[in-house]
Amino acid sequence: MQDITKRFPGVLANDRISLECKKGEVLGLLGENGAGKTTLMNILYGLHQPDSGRIYVDGEEVRITSPSKAIHYGIGMVHQHFKLVDTLTVLENIILGIPSKKLLLDLAPARKYLLKLCEEYELFVDPDAEVGRLPVGQQQWVEILKALYRNVQILVFDEPTSVLTPAESDQLCRAIRRLTAEGRSIVFISHKLREVMEITDRVTIIRDGKFIGTIPTREATQLKLAQMMVGRPVSIVRKPRPALEEKKPVLVMKDVNVSDDRGVPALKNFNLIVNAGEILGVAGVDGNGQRELAECVVGLRKPASGTIHVRDRQITDVVADPSFVGFIPEDRQKTGLVLDFSVSENLIIKEYDKQPYIKNGVLKYPVIKKHARSMIEKYNLKTPSGEVKVRNLSGGNQQKVVIARELNLGPVLDIASQPTRGLDMGAVSNVHDTLLSERNRGAAVLFISAELQEVMALSDRIIVLFRGEIMGDIDGETADVSTIGQMMLGHPLEVGI
Amino acid sequence: MKAIKKPKFIEVPFIGELALSGVRPILGIALGLLAGGVLIAVSGVNPFKAYKAMLQGAFGNRYAFSNVLVRSSPLLLGGIGVSLGIKAGVWNTGIEGYMYLGAVGAAVVGIPALGLPPVAHIILTLIVAMAFGAAWGLIPGYLRAYKGVNEVTSTIMLNYVAVFLTSWLVAEPQPLAEIGSFYPMSKLFQESAQLPILVRGTSLHPGAFIGLAVCVLLYFVLRYTPFGFRTRMLGFNPNAARYAGVNTRKQIMLLIIIGAMLGGLAGAIEVTGLKRRVYMNFVTGVGYESVAVALLAGGNPLGVIAAALFFSALKAGGATMSIQTNIGAPMTSVIIALCVIFVIGVGVSERRRLGKVQDNEKSEAVNEPKIKEEENVT
Repeated sequence: MQDITKRFPGVLANDRISLECKKGEVLGLLGENGAGKTTLMNILYGLHQPDSGRIYVDGEEVRITSPSKAIHYGIGMVHQHFKLVDTLTVLENIILGIPSKKLLLDLAPARKYLLKLCEEYELFVDPDAEVGRLPVGQQQWVEILKALYRNVQILVFDEPTSVLTPAESDQLCRAIRRLTAEGRSIVFISHKLREVMEITDRVTIIRDGKFIGTIPTREATQLKLAQMMVGRPVSIVRKPRPALEEKKPVLVMKDVNVSDDRGVPALKNFNLIVNAGEILGVAGVDGNGQRELAECVVGLRKPASGTIHVRDRQITDVVADPSFVGFIPEDRQKTGLVLDFSVSENLIIKEYDKQPYIKNGVLKYPVIKKHARSMIEKYNLKTPSGEVKVRNLSGGNQQKVVIARELNLGPVLDIASQPTRGLDMGAVSNVHDTLLSERNRGAAVLFISAELQEVMALSDRIIVLFRGEIMGDIDGETADVSTIGQMMLGHPLEVGI
Repeated sequence: MKAIKKPKFIEVPFIGELALSGVRPILGIALGLLAGGVLIAVSGVNPFKAYKAMLQGAFGNRYAFSNVLVRSSPLLLGGIGVSLGIKAGVWNTGIEGYMYLGAVGAAVVGIPALGLPPVAHIILTLIVAMAFGAAWGLIPGYLRAYKGVNEVTSTIMLNYVAVFLTSWLVAEPQPLAEIGSFYPMSKLFQESAQLPILVRGTSLHPGAFIGLAVCVLLYFVLRYTPFGFRTRMLGFNPNAARYAGVNTRKQIMLLIIIGAMLGGLAGAIEVTGLKRRVYMNFVTGVGYESVAVALLAGGNPLGVIAAALFFSALKAGGATMSIQTNIGAPMTSVIIALCVIFVIGVGVSERRRLGKVQDNEKSEAVNEPKIKEEENVT
């Protein structure tokens, strides 16, 4: 792949990235979440079209306009989120999409070939099992077998081990070795350094959509890779702030266990205290329990065990009282706002049934509109009026609506989950200033972000989440990027150093 | 593509919303009538004559119009019942069953002589009918809200149960059944439990006006009460509703039950105002027509009024049409179906265009996070 550029509305996902994978080698593709790894691979697999750049297979330039074209050129992909039909059997999934000249399905030869493949690569699955009932590890075998069944020469794995147990990971490694021994090529996408070190021959690192470099794995160290991946040694501009006078715990979580939507543990025996007048930054690669942490504190997600207290109140049900807990959810469009409601209605979705917005059981629209006008002025909302649908506002102004609603009543605890995601620079600094002034007002602020820079710039204390556990709890003033970077990759802070 | 967003200038709540939501159904109906006209022409009748006969049959004299109103009563109540659910994203397709249960409830207190004065007896009858409907609606409501059972499946299946339950109850030897009748039916309702006839010589009972009042009332409830706020929030974005502290399960169950109460009321009005008895299969398909009414109205309570009157005018006029011309009565149903399909079709094509706009916005939202600040780099 040469000079691949892909632009999405408002963002440059891939900026002139070049990548070369030789016959029979494993090429690692390393980068943080959102660095553009998946976009690049989707271009290779024909799911996206590059805006510019060329792709060569076996020295010939090709145009890959669809996944079936990709397969035609011998490129296969194992997606991070499997593309399988849960209600079909393994065998049916594998032959799905292969054109057949016969009217009736003739499964016998397909089964024979599949069993042969299973044997050869030691990826054993029952061809007649329903895919939805298989454990995730085996579902991944199905994905791999599907690609092998199509006899691909280049196989892309998108974060394959994130769903595997250690034993399964080993099995995967063995299969990959066998594949390369046969002369097939593997592209291995990951942000886990250890694996990349173990399995790849060369590593290509990308960051912020840009090509950083390709180095032979033999010459790399984990530290070197981490630096290339997380970036230049950054100097963090911390915002000045008055010192914290005394520690008064506001949020206390004790031995909390909580599961994500799939029922997989997201937080494990989680203990946390956030004090009044401090910003606790939660760093970590996305998807390591951050979302579940925020949701269980406001009662949207019930912990399987453990207790959560805010001040003296135990959280057992949804807290929708912005004078108590303000919650800026990570997805403002899906959770924080009703896009088809007006600005004024969105400003009261937690207060609509309270005084002064309601009188004798009837909503007081004049009061609601007046409230909106004052909020528009106070929070400097850019909107033609309070009666415009929130859908029509820009992302930054949508976020301002959420912030205005959640923080206006001065909650004791603020939870800000990825509050700057998708905002432009002006809006970002606006959010930062707001959070800092909340802290100075004396609120406890739980600040969750995947952007290391802003966590370091803003937090009084930083914890790093990895697979639902705290890798370390460090002071914000003295924190440095490489320590946090190591913890983000799953190495616990070594106490006493 | 952004130009297709709904215009922002309409802010008058009443007229603005009507104008906006009115264009689509009217276009769809026009297309439906046009297609119906083609079918009429194919069957060898001048479509203009046929439609003229239809108009006369619906609005030609006061008997005709009172017929329209009588037919509109269950469609109004059923239609608003379904619409409430649609507003919150729930498809409450059980109106047929609720009507049967309502009729049974009405029969239980309307047939025996209770010695009550007429007004009290009527009110009691209607209330018990609503309670029966609500009890029936509790089943799909609970299953949908707390067990995740698809409400369309459960309500339609329960409709059959309700129909056959009623057939059994009005057949001998059950106590409600008429003795020695040629067709399974209940005994006559007490005079005191029957709804009054408003215009002598017609069958006009107050059902249509009750239906109109309920539609207008629910329009205001949806717009101006916390209950309505919750309902709309749930319909637009269930995640946000939960986040804002709405007990979404309870709300869904409540909405299905309220729909069921209105269905029960519709059934009771049919039997106490029009039929005077509960017959086996006393309504066939009205419950499903009210789903079509709600679809045509796009879930808007005021739209329900227009849609229900339009349907009943078509039905009443269709009878006249088939007498005066040689078109079979089923043509009416065909025209109704065509209108609904075209209204939905117009809506789909509109939504697809809007959907594209939203998709663009979505992909922006997904990809924007990759922007990083460069200002901190030294």
